[in-house]
Amino acid sequence: MSIIAYNHKMAAHCESGTVTSLLNNRGLEITEALVFGISSGIFFGYFHKMKSFTFPTFIVRNKPGQMRSNLSKRLGIKFHTEKFRKPEEGQMALDRLLEKNIPVAVQVDFFYMDYIPSWEKVHINVHFIVIVGKIGSKYIVSDSYFPQLVELEGESLRKARFAGGSMSPRGFLFYPEYIPEKIDFENAIIKGIKKSCFYMLKLPIPFLGVKGIRSFARKIVEWPSRSRDIEHLSHEIMKINILLEDQGTGGAGFRFLFATFLQQAADILKKPELTDLSKEMMVIGDGWREISLRAARYGKNRDLGIDRLKELGEMLSNRATAEESFFKKLYKLIKE
Amino acid sequence: MTEPTQVLKWEIKELILETLRITDVDLEKIDDEKPLFGSDNALTLDSVDGLEIIMALQRKYGVRIGDQNLARAIISSVNNIAAFITQEKAKING
Repeated sequence: MSIIAYNHKMAAHCESGTVTSLLNNRGLEITEALVFGISSGIFFGYFHKMKSFTFPTFIVRNKPGQMRSNLSKRLGIKFHTEKFRKPEEGQMALDRLLEKNIPVAVQVDFFYMDYIPSWEKVHINVHFIVIVGKIGSKYIVSDSYFPQLVELEGESLRKARFAGGSMSPRGFLFYPEYIPEKIDFENAIIKGIKKSCFYMLKLPIPFLGVKGIRSFARKIVEWPSRSRDIEHLSHEIMKINILLEDQGTGGAGFRFLFATFLQQAADILKKPELTDLSKEMMVIGDGWREISLRAARYGKNRDLGIDRLKELGEMLSNRATAEESFFKKLYKLIKE
Repeated sequence: MTEPTQVLKWEIKELILETLRITDVDLEKIDDEKPLFGSDNALTLDSVDGLEIIMALQRKYGVRIGDQNLARAIISSVNNIAAFITQEKAKING
């Protein structure tokens, strides 16, 4: 087997980057920002007490896989998707597709990507890469986090595709099967924006969207009572930074990506007002980055008194206010 | 394409030391080429330091690095930071 001709590019985020890259390589011109915006990738959720989490946590994007399915609905693109019970079946299916010269996206545990420096390795079951070939026992990988194509041992890929734990990949793979000749981007952008506004403003659940940011702002002062000791609390506070900055593109990064989407949407929809909102979203992203940095500093220095937590809560509350105002303006503009 | 100047690289090193409040490292000992993270450079930084540098670069040069993967590549060495700033300045100046 050899390497499929594939144009590799880095991307801001693995899922939107992988989908964009597969579509670009099938000849569809679409940017990562458009994929993210059309699929309503921007989101927020805060989980203070959930059975599946031992400590409060939060998410800053929609759930894994939803970008692909929303994009599919809005652009009429069909993706072939498949999961496997047995690793051997998963590997055979992948090899068969590669033999047919089909680049295939697979869901993996990031930890087993041997080309990533050891200090960056963490177990995340929802990383996406594209496999573009196989030479001997090694697969050729296009990973949007990495500047060039890389090799990965078959055994590592097997472990990564069939890792256990929360959101285990179960060998999940996908690739575009059908791309319509004509795509109504304008309509798709409008639907994507409306849904994003709905997710952020109108979900009737108190821990999702802007309400989720507010909930986080209120509840962060309760974190000491949920932690074992100062070391545990420090670790959890520093995880705010990791979730906002290091894993995927986090709070700031996703906000910057959404801002880029609005800039591109302004040109496509011929709505210059979206450019102003794009700039506003960039500033909102900067605010998230400030929170990330502050949390990292406090956590690193074990500077975790109640005043510090209140300070973080206030910064979060400011983000909630800014995002509420932003999405209200965006919704008003787009429904006109 | 314009090459980054030595003055810019010096300025970047000063900014890094000032931002991270590092007082015990000489500017000339920071290697322009060697990685700033997890290496044998005079500075060995972590991801929190990286974030501080990204924000300091934005404040000083008005360059926003929104994409974390790109950010990781840019702030990996003084040379890469200098090349990025030079490129961004060229874009602004048309």
